[in-house]
Amino acid sequence: MTTDAIPRGGRRRSTGSSLAVHAALCFASLVMLYPLLWMLASSFKDEAEIFAHGVSIFPTSWTLDAYRRGWEGLTVTFDVFFWNSAVISILSVIGNVVSCSLAAYAFARLQFKGRNFWFALMLGTLMLPYHATLIPQYVLFLHLDWVNTILPLVVPKFMAVDAFFIFLMVQFFRGIPRELDEAAKMDGCGPWRIYWKIMLPLSLPVMATAAIFSFIWTWDEFFAPLIYLNDMGSYTVQLGLRAFVDSSGKSDFGALFAMSVLTLVPVFVFFIFFQRLLIEGIATTGMKR
Amino acid sequence: MARVDLETVFKRYAEVEVIHGVDLTIDPGEFVVFVGPSGCGKSTLLRMIAGLEDISGGTLRIDGEPMNDVPPAKRGIAMVFQSYALYPHMSVYKNLAFGLETARMPKAEIEKRVRAAARILQIDPLLELKPKALSGGQRQRVAIGRAIVREPRLFLFDEPLSNLDAELRVQMRVEIAKLHKDLGVTMIYVTHDQVEAMTMADKIVVLRSGVVEQVGRPLDLYNRPANQFVAGFIGSPKMNFLNASLRSASGQGASIALNGRGLDLPGQRAAAPGPVVLGVRPEHLTVTPSPGAVALGDAKVVIVEHLGGETIVYATLQDGQPVTVSLQGQRDVGGDSAIAVYADPATCHLFDATGASLRA
Repeated sequence: MTTDAIPRGGRRRSTGSSLAVHAALCFASLVMLYPLLWMLASSFKDEAEIFAHGVSIFPTSWTLDAYRRGWEGLTVTFDVFFWNSAVISILSVIGNVVSCSLAAYAFARLQFKGRNFWFALMLGTLMLPYHATLIPQYVLFLHLDWVNTILPLVVPKFMAVDAFFIFLMVQFFRGIPRELDEAAKMDGCGPWRIYWKIMLPLSLPVMATAAIFSFIWTWDEFFAPLIYLNDMGSYTVQLGLRAFVDSSGKSDFGALFAMSVLTLVPVFVFFIFFQRLLIEGIATTGMKR
Repeated sequence: MARVDLETVFKRYAEVEVIHGVDLTIDPGEFVVFVGPSGCGKSTLLRMIAGLEDISGGTLRIDGEPMNDVPPAKRGIAMVFQSYALYPHMSVYKNLAFGLETARMPKAEIEKRVRAAARILQIDPLLELKPKALSGGQRQRVAIGRAIVREPRLFLFDEPLSNLDAELRVQMRVEIAKLHKDLGVTMIYVTHDQVEAMTMADKIVVLRSGVVEQVGRPLDLYNRPANQFVAGFIGSPKMNFLNASLRSASGQGASIALNGRGLDLPGQRAAAPGPVVLGVRPEHLTVTPSPGAVALGDAKVVIVEHLGGETIVYATLQDGQPVTVSLQGQRDVGGDSAIAVYADPATCHLFDATGASLRA
């Protein structure tokens, strides 16, 4: 009897504490998710109902009217904004992955003069706030006559300006055994072929990470497009969303929420598509360590 | 088949010199083993021949041509790495074909060579698998296969067996030796295992701290080590080194004092009297008197190892110096018992204070 009671008591205690932990976690998740759910619900509500019932999530009646209003409510329809955002984001992803991986390969594997100095300098740029370089950059792009085009938003991405991605990739490349490079060298590969045939295929997880972050950050970017894009026809979705909130006239919050929901869709899709590569991981089992 | 010449080859990393002027000739078709303890520079020397490390001074010639500034792939060399270094994202077939594809060889020729190499190494059924699906021994074969397909004039092996278990190691050792016989190509093999060196080599190069200590055929190194280091490195169990003093030495022989006894050794060169080291291999010591053998003194048994085929006795001489005796067959030697140790003067080595052999 006594030997029975002790483990049962212990088990009951652990079940109790685990229940408490789960309840706390569920509550925390709900708190985190609530604004998102509220926005989602509000996008299906009648305009008058959104602020009427305050914190309630469930609409009294479901309507897609806000989506219709939102899509066509501005002088330019939302498909233009989506197209603009997609072009900028996809070009940024390509630019970042290609240029940062090349720069990272150089820092990780190639010997050149002052390599450590340049690497430290590159890391130093991580600490430089965007706002500090904003005005000189704007002046530069103005003189290049690039303002009001997507060039200031896209071209720099092809020049390996994102130190964070370079650092991430350098760390990953350093983890790839150097003997693979040497074996490839014996097989007649130059640095380009080693990069293309050995390093890149083995680095899919880090490339996927860079692609995901790059896409999300560019898609969500508000500040830079706000500064460089002036015509509504060249707006990104984030700038489009702002147009619903009018300080002088009437703001259409229903349409804003509806379009905000749609704006989140590509980010989800992109994440779901690429996260598979994140999980796949690297197989270095050709090596014996 | 390639002839390799190293002419006073140096390697320096910044201020530190790790290879101190190595001179070496490797004849076509030879199987040469670089052997030495960790950090002796044997792998560095191999990587310099491969072209993976720059040569800081001196000349490397392959078939008479200077190779110092020729890129690795253009030297006609293939290398098998210690970690195998198979490309993890490629199938076995792709691993073998990669070097040939890089050289833009026609597809049909690549296929032919890969199939031929796979047949030699019996890895045909594995061609579609990725390296992670292979066992250690299979990976080793693929790594060797990758070297074979390139039909190099020179094979380099960098401790290729050190990651295999003991049984597989013996098996692969035989296979590599057979491969050398079948292909007849010059091979350079790096190992720290003197057994591998003794069993596989046509010629052994013993290295220590970036200096060649001795070059020779395995049995020459065993029978006539040039110095105390080589004597201690080649042979297992290790040669006994006993401190003694040299009374007199002429061109005919030497007379030494050991453990309070006098001992005359033939065939030693003249040297000044002073402290010397007597070297005698455990397998050359006996515990019973035999014709021509002289007594080294009595010893107290410490530990006895029964290996079945031989019995190894660890003992201490009266003056406290440890001595190892390897006896043929299964002997009944008790722990803590006393034995008398005898040696044949013809199998004894004398080393002077610098470690150099006094053998004439």
